[in-house]
Parts: sequence; C-alpha cells; structure tokens
Amino acid sequence: MNIPSPLSRRAALTTMGGGLGSLGMISALGADQALRPHFAPRAKRVIHLFMNGGPFGPDFFDPKPALTRYAGQRPKGSDLRTERPTGGLLEVPWKFQNHGKSGLPVSELLPLTAQHADDLCLLRSCYTDNPNHGPALLLMNNGTMTPRVPSMGAWTSYGLGSENTDLPGYVVLCPGKPVRFSILWNSAFLPSQHAGLYVNHSKTDPDDLIPWLKRKETNPQAQRKGLDLLQQLNQQHRQSRSIHDPRLEGRIEALETAYRMQFSAHDAFDIGREPEKVREIYGRSHFGNGCLLARRLAERGVRFTQVYYGNGQPWDTHSKHDEKTRKLAQDIDRPVAALLEDLKQRGMLEDTLVIWGGEFGRTPVSENGNGRDHNPHGFLMWMAGGGVRGGYAHGSSDEFGFKAQEKAMHVHDLHATILHLLGIDHERLTYRHAGRDYRLTDVHGNVAKEILA
Amino acid sequence: MFSLRLCLIFVVLTGTAVVSRAGENPRPWSFEPLIQTETLPAVKDTSWPRSRIDHFILASMEENGFSPSAPAAPRMMLRRLHFTLTGLPPAPEDLAAFDPARVDKTIDTLLATPQYGERQARHWLDLARYTDVTASWLKSTAGSWRYRDWVVAAFNDDIPYPDFVKRQLATDLMSSTGPEDHVALGFLGLSPMYWKELQLPPEIIKTTVADEWEERIDTVGRTFLGLTLACARCHDHKTDPVSTADYYALAGVFASVKITDRPTMSEDLWKPVKKARELVAGLETQKKNLSKKKPRPADYDGQIKELDKKIATIKNATPHYNMAMANGVIEAALYVEKKDKGHGTNLNYQTGMSRDLPIQKRGNPNQTGDIVPRRFLSEFPGSNGSPRSFTKGSGRLELAEALIEDSEALFARVMVNRIWKIHFGTGLVRTPGDFGNTGEAPTHRQLLDDLAARFIANGWSIKWLHREILQSATWQQTSINPQSEQKDPENLYYSRMPRRRLDIEAWRDAMLYVSGELDLRTGGAGQDLDDSKNVRRTLYGKIHRRDLNKMLQVHDFPDPAAHHPSREETISPLQMLFALNSPLVHARASALATRFPSADRITTIYQTLFQRNPTATERELGETYSTETDPANYAALLLVSNEFLYID
Repeated sequence: MNIPSPLSRRAALTTMGGGLGSLGMISALGADQALRPHFAPRAKRVIHLFMNGGPFGPDFFDPKPALTRYAGQRPKGSDLRTERPTGGLLEVPWKFQNHGKSGLPVSELLPLTAQHADDLCLLRSCYTDNPNHGPALLLMNNGTMTPRVPSMGAWTSYGLGSENTDLPGYVVLCPGKPVRFSILWNSAFLPSQHAGLYVNHSKTDPDDLIPWLKRKETNPQAQRKGLDLLQQLNQQHRQSRSIHDPRLEGRIEALETAYRMQFSAHDAFDIGREPEKVREIYGRSHFGNGCLLARRLAERGVRFTQVYYGNGQPWDTHSKHDEKTRKLAQDIDRPVAALLEDLKQRGMLEDTLVIWGGEFGRTPVSENGNGRDHNPHGFLMWMAGGGVRGGYAHGSSDEFGFKAQEKAMHVHDLHATILHLLGIDHERLTYRHAGRDYRLTDVHGNVAKEILA
Repeated sequence: MFSLRLCLIFVVLTGTAVVSRAGENPRPWSFEPLIQTETLPAVKDTSWPRSRIDHFILASMEENGFSPSAPAAPRMMLRRLHFTLTGLPPAPEDLAAFDPARVDKTIDTLLATPQYGERQARHWLDLARYTDVTASWLKSTAGSWRYRDWVVAAFNDDIPYPDFVKRQLATDLMSSTGPEDHVALGFLGLSPMYWKELQLPPEIIKTTVADEWEERIDTVGRTFLGLTLACARCHDHKTDPVSTADYYALAGVFASVKITDRPTMSEDLWKPVKKARELVAGLETQKKNLSKKKPRPADYDGQIKELDKKIATIKNATPHYNMAMANGVIEAALYVEKKDKGHGTNLNYQTGMSRDLPIQKRGNPNQTGDIVPRRFLSEFPGSNGSPRSFTKGSGRLELAEALIEDSEALFARVMVNRIWKIHFGTGLVRTPGDFGNTGEAPTHRQLLDDLAARFIANGWSIKWLHREILQSATWQQTSINPQSEQKDPENLYYSRMPRRRLDIEAWRDAMLYVSGELDLRTGGAGQDLDDSKNVRRTLYGKIHRRDLNKMLQVHDFPDPAAHHPSREETISPLQMLFALNSPLVHARASALATRFPSADRITTIYQTLFQRNPTATERELGETYSTETDPANYAALLLVSNEFLYID
C-alpha cells in the first residue's frame, strides 16, 4: 500500500469510521513503523525526568534574594492561595554561582548538572491549574485533569510510530508507583499498543522488567523450530481461507517481531551490559539506573521514555524541605549530568529532548515552619537538547518565585512546544472519539517559539 | 482554567458564550420514529432468504452487484454459535450431536446455559465501565461483583430490556423490586470518582464535581441513546440538537444522588445491623488505639481479649450481621460549600433532597446562569408535548422511563445495534456510541428499524433478538470468500461472514476449556488473573480501574475508567510475547498434552481445538515436533495459532 502521509492516513481511516476494521488493519500493516511527522522535527525522541511530588525551582535555577530579605514575613504577593495553610516566606539557604558561557545561575546543590548550564533551557514561568497531586499529574501527563484521555507519550507514539519495531514506542520507568499510577501513561481511546510500557526498574534483570520476555524452560533453538512450525500452520490456515486478510498476516508478522524482541529488548533493558566506567558515571542509584536505561532505550529508537524519580511522591516536601531537598538533589545531580554528557558524546543530544520537572512547584512561603506547600501558580522546568536553545532562561517568576510572570507557560503550551519539537502540529494530531476530535492540548496551547534553537 | 475545555472549542470559534444553536442543528435520522416495513424488499434470488433480515440484506446486495456466500460448513457454524453465545468452544461430542438443519435447537440449548449470561454480561460491562476495585479513598465493602453477577443473571433470565435498564438506574425507587435488587445500581454506584482534596477552595472542587456529572451523562447518554450528550456541557452540542439547558436538566439528576453502599435487605433488618456495625467499628478503633499505646499496658492481652469478646457477642447477637452490601446510590443533593471555619471545602450532601442546577457558563461552575429544572431532552417530548419533568426525588426513575418511552425508537435501535455487533463484529450503525449527526449513517436503516420494531413487539426479549439474527441466512454464510473479501473489504453488504478474532476473555476461557481445566462455577468475588491457580472464566478476573491486569491491557481490554462502545482490535508484539512465553499458555498446553495421552493424541487435539481431523501432513509435522521436543510444547503452538484464535 502506497500512502503519502501516515498521519493523514490515520485521520482518514478513523474519520471514515472504519472503526475496528480499519484500526486493526493499520496495526496489521505496520502502525509500529515510523510515520512521517507534519514538518521537520528537531527532536526524534523524548526523555522526561519526572520529579514526582514537585520540586521548588528557586532551590536550583532561579535565585530569589527577596526570600532572604523578607524571610518570615508575608509581604504583598506572597499570600496566594495554595492547598494548605502557609506561613511567612522561607529563605533558600543555597549559594548560587553563574555557570558556563551563558552564565546561568545554578545553586550549589547541583554542581555536576551546573557544568551543563549551556545546554539547559530553563522554563521559569510554567504554571498549572490545580494545586493537588492527582489532577496536576494528570494535566502534566494527559493534558486534562480527568482520567479519561491518552497520555502525552501515547499521543507521541500514535503520531510518530516507533523507530524500532522490536521495542515499544513508549516506556515508563519508576522504581515503584507514582500517585495515580497507570492512568498517567494510558492510551485511553487510542489503540492499546500506544500505552506506556510500565517498568519497575528497582530490579535490573531484564527478564524481570518486561512481561513474558523470556520463558526459562525454553531453549532458543527449540523455540525457533516451534515458531517455524507455527508459522507454517498459520500460513496454511491463511492460504486456505483468504487472499489477503491483513489481520491474519499481521499476526504472523507480529510473532516474528516478538521473537526478535526477546533478544533486542533483553539487550535494550540490560544495563549490566554497560561498561563499569559508565555505570560509575551514572551512579548505581535507582535514578541513575533509570537514566542509563533511558539512554539505552533512546539509542534504540524508543520515542518516549519517562523516568519517575521514585515511588509515591518523594519530592513532596511539606516538612523539612531543605534537608530533604539536599538529599534529593544529591541523588539526581550525578545521573542527570551523566545523561546529558553521555547523550552529547554519542551525538544524540541534538535530536533527543530531555525534560526535567514535576507536576507543579512549591511555595516560597513555609508550611509547618520548614516545609513548602504545592504551588501551581508558577514553577520551573528545564529542557535540553532536541532543538531547544541551550544556556537560556525563558520567562520569569515574580520576585518570590510564587507566580509565573513574564512569558507565562501553561502546561498546554509546554505540550504544544514538545509536540512541535517532535515535528507535530498539536492542533492537527487529533483522534475522533465520543463525537469530538480530541487532542493532547484540548483547545489550547501555544508553541513557545523563543526557546527553539 | 478548568478541565474539559475541549467543549469550548466551538464557543471559541463562534466567539459567544452560550448561544442557543441546538435548535439549528438538524434532527439526526435516529431521532425519527421507526420505519415500519409492510412489504419486504423484493429480491431476485427468492430461495436464499430465510428470515426478514435476509430480505433486506439480499436486496441491498443485489442492488450493489453482490451475491451471498455459501452457508458455513457445519463445524464452523457450530464453533461460531458456541463462541458468539457463550464465549466457549464446542466439545467434540457437541459436533457429533449437531444437526445443521436444526440450528434453532442448538441456539436454544446454548441460550439456556449459564455461560450465555456470562458472555453477554461482559459486553455490557464494557459499557458500564465495570471495576472490581473502586478508588482507594472510598469507603466500600467491595461488593462490586454483585453487580456483575446481577448483569449475568439478568441476561440469563432474559429480563426485558427496559426493565434491565430501569433497574440499573433506579431499582430502589421501583415498587416491583426489593432491596435485594440494590446491587443493580452498580451501573451508577461503580462510576469513577475523582479525588477531591477538601483543603482546596470550593471553586476548584466544584469543577471536579462537575467533571463527575459529565462522566455520568456521557456514560448514560452513550450507553442508552448512543448520544454524545456530554458535548453539551460547555456549549450547545455542535452538531446534534442538544442544548446546554438539556445537559444541566440531566446533570441535576446526578447532582441529586450520592454514591454509597446500600444494604440488600429491608430497613427493618438493616437498622440493627447498621447499629451493630457502628458499635463494632468503635470497638475496633479502641483495639487499634490500644495497640498503638506506648508503653504497652500491663494487661494488654486481657484488654484485647475483652474487646474481641464484645465484638463477637455483638456479631452473634445481630441477625444478618454480614448482610451483603451493594455498590449503589442514594437520593441526596450535593452542595459544594466553603468550610465554615478555616481553609477548605465542605461537601454538603442533603440526604433525601434533590436539586436543580444552574447552567454553568462555558462549563465553568463558578459562572452560573439560569437554573434549569430537571427534565428529559427537549427533542424527545413526552405524551403531553413537552419534555418529561423529573419531580420525584432525584428523577432517576423518571429519567429511565423517559429513555424507554419518550426516546423509544432510538433506545431500541441502539440496543439492537449492539446485539447485531456482537454477532457480526460491526453494527448496522458502525459508530455504536454515536447515533447523532457525526456518527455514521446505518448501512441498512430499514433492517435496523424493522428489527427494532420487532424487538419491541417481542417484549424486548434479547434472547429473541439473538435467535432472530443467528437463524438468518446472512449470519450463517461462510467467512471464506476471497472474492467478497476483495470487493468489499469492510463487508458493508454482508456478502460473507466476517472472520473474527477471539477477544482475550474468549481466548483464555477457550484455552482452559480445551485443556479440561476450566472451572465453570458461577459468580462471586473477582480473583487475580495472575494467580496460576485461577482457572475460572476470565469474567471473574479482578478488574482494577487504576492498575489493569497486564494480560488484559495488552489484549485490547477497554480502560475501565470510561464507557467503551467497542474494543479497538490491535496486533502487537507484546501480545505475541504473551503467546510465546506466558506461564498461562504453557500451563494450559501441559494440561492439554496430559489430558490426551493416547497414541492418537494429535487427532484428538485437532478435534478438540478445531472441530476437525488433522491432515496427514499436519499429523506428521505434529508428531515429529512432539517427539523432538515434547507434546506440551506442541500443544502450546496450537493454542496460539491463528486457527484457534480466529472464528470463521
């Protein structure tokens, strides 16, 4: 079949309402193969480092001297409503220094990441709609706060297909379960192969990571022989019934893919194959392993990889914020720096978009004396590689780091920009469901053109 | 900003807020009364039609240059009948007893098996977004499975469809049913609930609550009417004649119910149980507090023993202490209010009360307009010429009655289409969840209407509908017709039977059935599907809304957080990894190989799996491979083969 633009082919088939039949046909005809984007992409794949719980930007990349000046007070502009009762402004105790040619300020908490200041595109004016984890996680991942629509990774996989038919297009790594769990990477009404493959990487043996990847009792030669027999029977079955049934053929093909996947996926998910030196550079923490796994997957063509920092919501520092943040920062600094360096050395940073951030930020005012509450009004994320402008700080927050000020960037804008970097027009990647054309950005989203390199 | 702003797209486009444009949208074909066919369409080949269905199908075939396929071979027909009605394959002895001239007898036999209801229930549960596990923050006695079992029984008992619907929406308000039927309310009682952080201000919580109403309206609208009513939350429906006022008139019903567990016995029996349970809960709390006490009291064991004794006494002294509870709803109007003191929100449920809602401008609950009294859709007036008002309690029962009586034609068409789709894979309307203007037009409208009218005339009997469809020559055609496949790949003219893949439930059940392991006990609490000892039907596997079983998930099982009118069939490598390596397949294969230890194992296996004998080549291939590896490995291949997975 010779069809010019797969994105429009999909749209055509779904709006034609072939429904089941057509979609089945698409998957049989190779929906897993790379599809052509709307325009030249800057990034081919995404690695999203998810600091679940929500970090506070001014701890790291957005110095706020006013917090020291007004420590303990609640001057005008610092009394925004958040989830819980809060007190006066809470000082950020960390020292900042300017780094790289760009001179971006990075705090002492992230000395290794600071060395990549010139790669970072700081988004200082992000904001979201709801100060509660569940809704905010959903908005960040799925584009709405109700758990009924596909995730950003599923949209990407659906829109672009896979670069590697032997691997899933969307993988979610977490040493545990983030709040709301699998709804954050679901495919909802999109075909189910676009759902994120959830991998709890607190174990490292690939056979424990992917369901049914291997059967211990099977030896590869016998299995191949068995598969040959099965395919012979399947071919006979097909020939005796049909000239061309894409589903019968599709299943025959998919069996071969799965057979290869046993080896390719095993390889992709096995960080044990990395040289000792590399393992050391990333560190051997869960997050270090996650970043390394993400790089291996990106290298092999997985479109969208998310690495959740940890089980539950480790960045949710309602009390003892500074103490916890110091530990968290220490834990991510090395892996993040290693990932950026590694991607760069492999020539992959230019077409791999790395995203760092949480579902929202934290308040500059205190909670429980030494904690910080959830803050949807303004928070910081950063991107690197994948066609974004390095060494650049986009937008600003107010003098306390409470509310997005200049060039405010809603989560919808973030999504529009991410899709844009991937070569997708966020208004044109749609799917007809329940009487509407759904899209990741709902009816919103502006591409932040200034951050494009 | 608030969620589901998708609705706003049209508002944004027109630049106005709530414009009454619903009236300007044309009435879709599906809103019209049923077309009564007096004279069946003429056909050239008068020998082919066996039922009224066939006249409509053949006339359209002939008009478009198609001709029917030959009848399916008896073994294929029997396999098809068994799977479509019960979700299980036939046994070899069923084939021996099968008389292709008396398909009606086989249909009746299958309709009378408990497995029939189990199979049909699963189709319904996709619509009802059934889950065994509700949100962790809800207090629930985990009786969800009672709703599932109620649906199974309802199909087996062939409850007339209107009754089936009415009881799911409002059995507690009906005089003809008692408290034991409260489990039917699971359709509403198991609705998804979204987290409401009550430390947040009411402005935010109101949106979450409105999102829940929208979910109910979406599910009710699409399940019973095939209408995307939720599109009218923020603006009048873009393409269908459904106004925002219509939407809030219905939303009021859901603003007047509260999801909660309900007893399944009379108030008289329940009252003492309720009291006893409260007492026991108090004693349990005392136990808990005691165990937390530091340092541990000297007579700790004695105190605990004392409390346990008290608990046991209460339980023993209370008849029906363990009374089954239903995941249901009660009448209660919800007001989202600012907390009296402090910071957050109070959910004020006024039990026994109901409320009308104001229109929320652009779907924003903090920008409200006129109050809309609860009533049915304006395009479906009742006998007095205006839409039925809902005045009794929340209006659930009146809503059900309006669905059944005031939108009868649409209500019947939607269900007929679903049953047709069960048997043909596609509906006569190929968008089963959208009978509006953006949905597809029916491929055979007269046929759909004729079937719907006769469905009503035959007492809304779903079993009647199955018989009518399965006894048609149309349904009994073979699926093997390469010419028709090429000329009409979508099978719009039904000039062959479509080849269909088993869904995950039928496949897993069939594997267990042929291996001789299937446990056919019916009903009860959901069991973990990953448990290797679980050999019950997949219907009884535990469905977790937030953490769906991986096997189900990769095999197109629908996301139980929302209504699904059909499953998207995909083919993916993960499915094939399951086929090649899953313990489930291999355990069945071992059992299958052990079940038939005879010398002629291959013949028996072929007869059991495929209702036919192996060819000489197949036998030889099988024997060689079985000898080289082992019979279980060989059986594993057949269990995942296309011949086992596809029904001709």
